[in-house]
Amino acid sequence: MRLNPLRRLTNRSRGEHLSGKGGSSTDFADYRDYAAGDDMRYVDWNIFARLRRPYIKQYLHEEELHVVILVDASSSMLFEDKLQRAKQLAAAFGIMGLMNVERVSAYAMHQKKDEPWMLPPGSGRQRIRNLLQFLEGVNGGGDVPIEKAIETMLRFHRGRGIAILLSDFLTFSDLSRSMNLLFSAGLEVWGMQILSESERNPSLEGDLRFVDSETGETLDITNAGELLSLYQDHRRWQEQTLNQQCRGRSGRFASVSSALTLESTLFDVLCRQGWVLR
Amino acid sequence: MSWPGFSFPFGAWFFLTLIPLVVLYFLKLKRPRVEISSLALWQSVVNDQRVNSPFQKFRRNLLLLLQLILLMLVILALMQPFISAGPETVEYLPVLIDCSASMSSKVNDADETRLDLAVEQVKGMIDNLRGNGKIALFTFSSGGRRLTEFSDDSQLLLRALQKVEPTDRASKLDEVLRMAEAYSRTASVEKVVVITDGNLNDQVDFELPFKLDIQRVPTGGNNLGITEMTARRSGPESWDVFVRVSGSATETAYADLRLLKNGETIGKEAIEASVEDSERVVFSVESKEAALLQATLTAKDFDSLQIDNSVWLNLPNTRPLKVYAAEKLYSWQHALSVQTETELDTAAEPSLPEYDLIITDVEDLKGSTAPIVVYNGLVPKELQDLISVAAVTENDTPVQIMDWLQTAPLLRHVQLRDVQIAEKAKYINDADSQALEERGYEVLIHGAEGPLMLQRRRGLQTEYYFLFHTDRSTLPYRVAFPILVSNVTEFALQQASLSEVAATATGVLPAISVAPNREYQVKGPLAGTYNVTSTPSGILVGVQAETVGKYDIFDGEELVASVGTGLLSSLETSLRPVDEIQFSEVRVATDEVKVIDSDRHIWWSLAFLAFIFLLFEWWYFQRAKGGLAA
Repeated sequence: MRLNPLRRLTNRSRGEHLSGKGGSSTDFADYRDYAAGDDMRYVDWNIFARLRRPYIKQYLHEEELHVVILVDASSSMLFEDKLQRAKQLAAAFGIMGLMNVERVSAYAMHQKKDEPWMLPPGSGRQRIRNLLQFLEGVNGGGDVPIEKAIETMLRFHRGRGIAILLSDFLTFSDLSRSMNLLFSAGLEVWGMQILSESERNPSLEGDLRFVDSETGETLDITNAGELLSLYQDHRRWQEQTLNQQCRGRSGRFASVSSALTLESTLFDVLCRQGWVLR
Repeated sequence: MSWPGFSFPFGAWFFLTLIPLVVLYFLKLKRPRVEISSLALWQSVVNDQRVNSPFQKFRRNLLLLLQLILLMLVILALMQPFISAGPETVEYLPVLIDCSASMSSKVNDADETRLDLAVEQVKGMIDNLRGNGKIALFTFSSGGRRLTEFSDDSQLLLRALQKVEPTDRASKLDEVLRMAEAYSRTASVEKVVVITDGNLNDQVDFELPFKLDIQRVPTGGNNLGITEMTARRSGPESWDVFVRVSGSATETAYADLRLLKNGETIGKEAIEASVEDSERVVFSVESKEAALLQATLTAKDFDSLQIDNSVWLNLPNTRPLKVYAAEKLYSWQHALSVQTETELDTAAEPSLPEYDLIITDVEDLKGSTAPIVVYNGLVPKELQDLISVAAVTENDTPVQIMDWLQTAPLLRHVQLRDVQIAEKAKYINDADSQALEERGYEVLIHGAEGPLMLQRRRGLQTEYYFLFHTDRSTLPYRVAFPILVSNVTEFALQQASLSEVAATATGVLPAISVAPNREYQVKGPLAGTYNVTSTPSGILVGVQAETVGKYDIFDGEELVASVGTGLLSSLETSLRPVDEIQFSEVRVATDEVKVIDSDRHIWWSLAFLAFIFLLFEWWYFQRAKGGLAA
């Protein structure tokens, strides 16, 4: 299985991703007119013999894809195995990248100083162990806005590729600027929203006082049962917004439930939506 | 629109319980804390809801709001609110209940009478009594009667109301209004309520010092009744008995009229009568002796009033009029001699102890009595210090007749203008007609300087005094004289009940001649007897006869006399309500719309509303659970 980027934003360094024409792989791509200075080895002499004009034969270039995995490990992700599922998916995406000779880096967004927050970019199958160790070391917690975490990540990141955001995207902020930053850095924005079942279909009633797990702020709700339909409207609206923001930046978006099994998520949802190729 | 009043206004203190309710609500309002991953979505949801729901502030505390409304509704119901019918604003309210005969008429086949409706209406007014309001109950028919003082004790008023019964008398409003006026001097009476069927005289001679609210109970069905019964002598031993039957309906009603003499039927006629066309029936009755006649009416259809269906009439013995005319009163003797059915005695002195008419020129009657005595040329002894009579001399001014009472029975159609009189009666000692009236005498003929003829009533006896001698005047030579004598004779016949008798209406029995100073027992149509004592002159007077029927008067075991009474009121029999009554200064409308207008209690409506709120509250807070489960 391998990741299926939409625009093939790759690095100059050789990799296993066919980045486009002008490469040196064995896969033919196209012809073009000869220009002075071109390597004579790429002139198609058979065409020249027939047409009496030199054409350069172009091949697909295999370049390296940088896969950046951002795992939201804030307190909100600690609900109902959302973080666990995010870590599992991050491991899956990371392994896919490493197994296909991509550069993979990972970032965890949390406020635990004793826990790792960044896995530097690397490639090769030997990095799988580092990746898994990194993810296992992330337990999460704290209040880290996702947009701030993206800015932090971009300070350390170099290279084009894919930025996979594994988060619940439950933030008060507008993510447009963060996604623009990612796109400007040459990264396709792949957003994966992981929500628990209680967030997707809450079962609430009566007068409640909600406490934010990250900030501790409270919100009084009267007759929560009456607001459920409005909640669903807002959740669907947020999904659509995120979808538009991601697709507008040559990316993808998917919203999955943490209650859905990993197998179903990987081999069903993500395959159907073209995230991965089998 | 009038604001509702409250029967239990002190219940408003219970509104203080709203305070602990609010306090307890906020003390108890501890929302369950639910930790969620992020408030981001919920905050936007709440913001959106507040924008789209203008009553969100209320809805946030909807439970408190519903509980407050619920408690207030319960407290309001506890205060027993009512929509006032009006009379509570009056502090002192005399209520006059019509108990006349027409009030006993049935309004339907269920035997419910107008008086029953009136009593129900007054009960409603007593139930509405509150605050400082006090009611005094009066009943009236031909007279007034006070049942209670001004009182706010509803039990006392209701007990008095239970004793209200219809009478067999015609209604007369002025006397009870005067009673109410007397009470208005002791209390501030702004309004007087009259509960009646409207069967009243449309003119009442009374100046209203207060506002009169005449409330009319619904009228009932049709009625037929005897409104008149008289007998006129048609021969030495025969009478013509006239019976008038009137109806209350515009359509003709049918009935059988029977005439009984001493309990035996002597005549029967089929009657057709309506409100426009009463029927007068004549029965010819042969009777030499005194007899008790009874006319009874049996309606063929619904007859709402029963008491006007029987009338009694006493026929006297038939005999000639016994007249004594003094020996020297030739002109009177001559005039009386041509009168039929007259037995004239012209002896020097009266020979019989009783006459029907005595005409004399001497004051001493030698022990004889008569219902009518005409003194000729005499001044009563007790007036001799006020009046002097002397012959007219040549120097005197002639005697002039200035005026005479033409409505007096003796002076009807009598023209006295040109009569010359040779004796002059004049006032002395500064006397005048008022001084005579103070001594019981009424002036019938006024002269220029003094009275010429006087009248005095002594019990059943009536005395007439010609202060001049008629033979010393031109009166016997005038046409007026035989008319005068005829009037005297006619009046004597009436007084002796020899020419015409009429049935007696309820109220008081006519005077009955019995032994003097003796106690008699009267047994009426109702159960029980009561004793009455005759006067020293041997007359039973003032015997109460409030009920239609026959009254037997016993002297021990011996039946002395039987007298019957009847309603005999065309007003009551007609059952006709008047729309307006003309008082001395104002007209007052009788209004049927206000009948049985009582306060409308709305506590049960509030209690029902509270129950609805309770159900709504329960549903509102339970529906979310049901919706999620679905």
